[in-house]
Amino acid sequence: MIKITDLEKFYRTEEVETIALNKLSMEVRKGEFVAIMGPSGCGKSTLLNILGMLDDPDAGSYIFNDTEVAHFNERKRADLRKHNIGFVFQSFNLIDELTVFENVELPLIYTGVAASERVKRVEAVLDKMQIMHRRNHYPQQLSGGQQQRVAIARAVVNNPKLILADEPTGNLDSSNGNEVMELLTDLNEQGTTIIMVTHSEHDARYSHRIIRLLDGHTVMENIMI
Amino acid sequence: MFKNYLKTAFRSLKRNKGFTAINILGLALGLTACLLIVLYVVNELSFDRYNTKADRIYRVNEDLKLGNNSVQYAVCMPPLAQTLKTDFPEVENAVRLKNAYSIHVKKGSENILEYRVAFADPSLFDVFTLPMINGNASTALKEPNSIVITETTALKYFNSTNVVGKSLVINDQGGFKVTGVIKDVPKTSHFNFDFFISMSSFPDSKSDKWLRSDYNTYVLFRKGADPKKLEAQFPAFLRKYSAGEMQSDMKMSIDDFEKGGSYFRMNLIPLTDIHLHSNISGELGANSSAQYIYIFSAIALFILLIACVNFMNLSTARSANRAREVGVRKVLGSSRGNLVIQFLAESNMITLVSTIIALFATYALLPAFNQLAGKEISIGLGTFAWLLPASLLIILIVGFMAGSYPALFLSGFQPVNVLKGKLSAGFKGGNLRNFLVVFQFSISIFLIIGTLVIYNQLNYIQSKNLGYNRNQVLVIKNAYELNTHSQTFKQEVKQLPGVSDATLSGYLPTGQARNTSIFYKEAGTTDQKNAIFPQTWSIDEDYIKTLGMKMIAGREFSTSMATDSSALIINETAARFLGMSNPVGKLLYQSVDGNHEHVKAYQIVGVVKDFHFNSLHENIAPVIMRFNYDNGNVSVRVNSSNLPALVNQIKSKWSSLTSAHFEYSFMDQDFEATYRSEQRIGQIFIVFTSLAILIACLGLFGLAAYAAEQRTKEIGIRKVLGASVSVIVGLLTKDFLKLILVAIVISTPLAWYFMHKWLQDFAYRVNIHWYTVAIAAVTAMLIAFITISFQSIKAALTNPVKSLKNE
Repeated sequence: MIKITDLEKFYRTEEVETIALNKLSMEVRKGEFVAIMGPSGCGKSTLLNILGMLDDPDAGSYIFNDTEVAHFNERKRADLRKHNIGFVFQSFNLIDELTVFENVELPLIYTGVAASERVKRVEAVLDKMQIMHRRNHYPQQLSGGQQQRVAIARAVVNNPKLILADEPTGNLDSSNGNEVMELLTDLNEQGTTIIMVTHSEHDARYSHRIIRLLDGHTVMENIMI
Repeated sequence: MFKNYLKTAFRSLKRNKGFTAINILGLALGLTACLLIVLYVVNELSFDRYNTKADRIYRVNEDLKLGNNSVQYAVCMPPLAQTLKTDFPEVENAVRLKNAYSIHVKKGSENILEYRVAFADPSLFDVFTLPMINGNASTALKEPNSIVITETTALKYFNSTNVVGKSLVINDQGGFKVTGVIKDVPKTSHFNFDFFISMSSFPDSKSDKWLRSDYNTYVLFRKGADPKKLEAQFPAFLRKYSAGEMQSDMKMSIDDFEKGGSYFRMNLIPLTDIHLHSNISGELGANSSAQYIYIFSAIALFILLIACVNFMNLSTARSANRAREVGVRKVLGSSRGNLVIQFLAESNMITLVSTIIALFATYALLPAFNQLAGKEISIGLGTFAWLLPASLLIILIVGFMAGSYPALFLSGFQPVNVLKGKLSAGFKGGNLRNFLVVFQFSISIFLIIGTLVIYNQLNYIQSKNLGYNRNQVLVIKNAYELNTHSQTFKQEVKQLPGVSDATLSGYLPTGQARNTSIFYKEAGTTDQKNAIFPQTWSIDEDYIKTLGMKMIAGREFSTSMATDSSALIINETAARFLGMSNPVGKLLYQSVDGNHEHVKAYQIVGVVKDFHFNSLHENIAPVIMRFNYDNGNVSVRVNSSNLPALVNQIKSKWSSLTSAHFEYSFMDQDFEATYRSEQRIGQIFIVFTSLAILIACLGLFGLAAYAAEQRTKEIGIRKVLGASVSVIVGLLTKDFLKLILVAIVISTPLAWYFMHKWLQDFAYRVNIHWYTVAIAAVTAMLIAFITISFQSIKAALTNPVKSLKNE
């Protein structure tokens, strides 16, 4: 599903040039659950951003579903992204002004799904995440675990082929964290590919494979199964 | 999708109540001010357009230069209207109006003084659109002693509008027949009369003299006729008709007349230009000036710009708070276009709400504004016909103007950056915002300086030594009612305790009676170089001291000098025009009854210090005073502590001599009336300037709040490291004050230049002092400082633990 080859990314400030990704290559197959680990500043978030087409690489190739996307412009990337990729963030990133229902509905609006269809799909996914009773609440009225479940509901409502999770349990206590990991595992078992950045060895154990990064390149791969 | 935008916009606005309130309030204030000014300007521009033939109606003006004087008249020769109609086929019609100033109209036993009276030719209703309710418009003003009155007047005198055929007693003479009742003359007319008396009732109107100017003459052109072509034929036309008269009365040919540097010309002014572009001798009412229309339009635009700038500034400043939302939306698949639309929807929503508030506020404030501006503007159905589409347009334009920058700026965020918190400093768009603050305050300082200069000038007019003393002078307006008893009345009033002096003369510095005539320095010649064309006033022996004027040479008139019937007192300007450094004792000559064969010699016995009798827009003109009987007014200098009692005493003297109504005023009030329009303009200016500054401060207040919020962490760290409150307040305030300084540097020269130009319009004016500018600068600084420091102090007093924990 994903194949990157010799991917490079630099950050430049006025004087200093930092290498975030250094000729990184990796491959993720359809249906896999991959964890990316490494110390702070090793480039894992940069990698996730490029995989999620939020950012473009400075060099190298990125093939997504047999299409080279490394040099796609912003519009094309946005288009590909909204149909194929769901995001889960450490800080949830829900929109405060929208209710649970409206937050989850948002991706469907952007992909132009009809209103009646949207209600059906949002209700189905809220049901699945067991937060249906909270559908008219605003994010501030929910606990952290509940907010992350809304965020995951939002990520999967469009039935994306790929979910990118950036430290999804980072802001949660361990029992809420475990719940979120269970949810992700369920999604994976239903066929969604998941790539997750994490600091937690515990969380990483839910994945099939751990890719460890250091200074912008792969240092080790652990196959978990 | 659009519903979602509105929903988000609405909730976001609701969540940020302070921000929303500042935006809506600022914008609503700005729009209200703007709307009021627009109504004012539209009203001013609509003058005389109620006439369906307005585009074909022109007034004939006359330019006269005689010797050193030149005068422009709104009035022309008595036979002009008829002659134009007969001589030129392109002239469809012509009409004369003559101001009758005042008449007494009897109602029951009471004689009511009416000021809005004119004589008019029968063609009045063919030229002007003055719809007749009762009566026949084509014949109403034909017969002598016919009178057409307005609806209101009919109701006032007869309680009915169905009064054609009834009669009115005017100036105690019966036999005036009401031949028509018209709708009231619209307020937006350059003349406003309640009574139109047939011109044939006024014998003078049949005069065939071409060297006189006293009839306001209007010409209606045929469709498609070119007024310029007619104007081009005026010189030959005038020559044809006036040459004979000039030869017989002045003993000279027109060529000689013109060789002396004098001239006598006519020109046309479009009817719709009169109100804003004409302010000359013989106008039928007080006109306005186009200059004020420009000034007010500029202020309206400034206020709107300031309000828009507020919006842009606050929105971009708030961008940090919105950045995350933008990021999330982008990650979820929103395109940049979607976001632009979203933010524009938001700003248009704010504008919509503001406009609605502004419409209501305008409606509510209109009576107060009318009072301030001395107008009678009303919002009717006709107003809505243009106001609603205009409001819609304003909503869109302001909405886009105010929302476009935040929309483009916010939608350009890179989701990676904002979600990762790299934009935490958030206070982006700093340069543009700085520019906008400078822009806003430049306008504000400009307006402050403008206000100060206008205020100073008005103050100067108030306190200027006018060369006479207008305080404590009671003017009895209709002294002519006393007929032969006027001398007796004056003498009796003089005896009253509390009266220090009294004079009998209609020619007052604050009055309307004016008269000009020609004097020559030499008896035998009619050479223009020898001529002077001064105001010629008839006064009595008590005039100079009653009005507190000063003699700088010679003496006042005296009843004990038998020769004073041929004596003159001239003002300093007249002496200068005559080129006499020592005029007392010199002779001046005047032809008797316009006949140059007979001349009368006058001797100058005194020179009075110059006094102002026109508006201070104009230079003092030459005045020559004759010792002559004129019973237009009695002016009484009083020094009583019990004024009402004294007025009653004078009134009872009056009543013992005449049954006429006692009309009086105080000279200082009459003087105020001369400058009322200026004072009004000044007040309007001050009100709107204050508004502009208030709106600018509102914006600055919001901006300072966000600046402080954005720097919470920095402030926390500085405090942990030992910074004092004052250091932090200084830190936050300094940045803004720098911008205000830049604004001062930019606006001061501009304000100086424009206000200097404005003052040029006054012949007597103040200078713009350096301290005027300094006051404006310090005021702006102070206002800004107070606005900002409120927020800065709040930020500086916050416990650092709290602000750092937030990170």
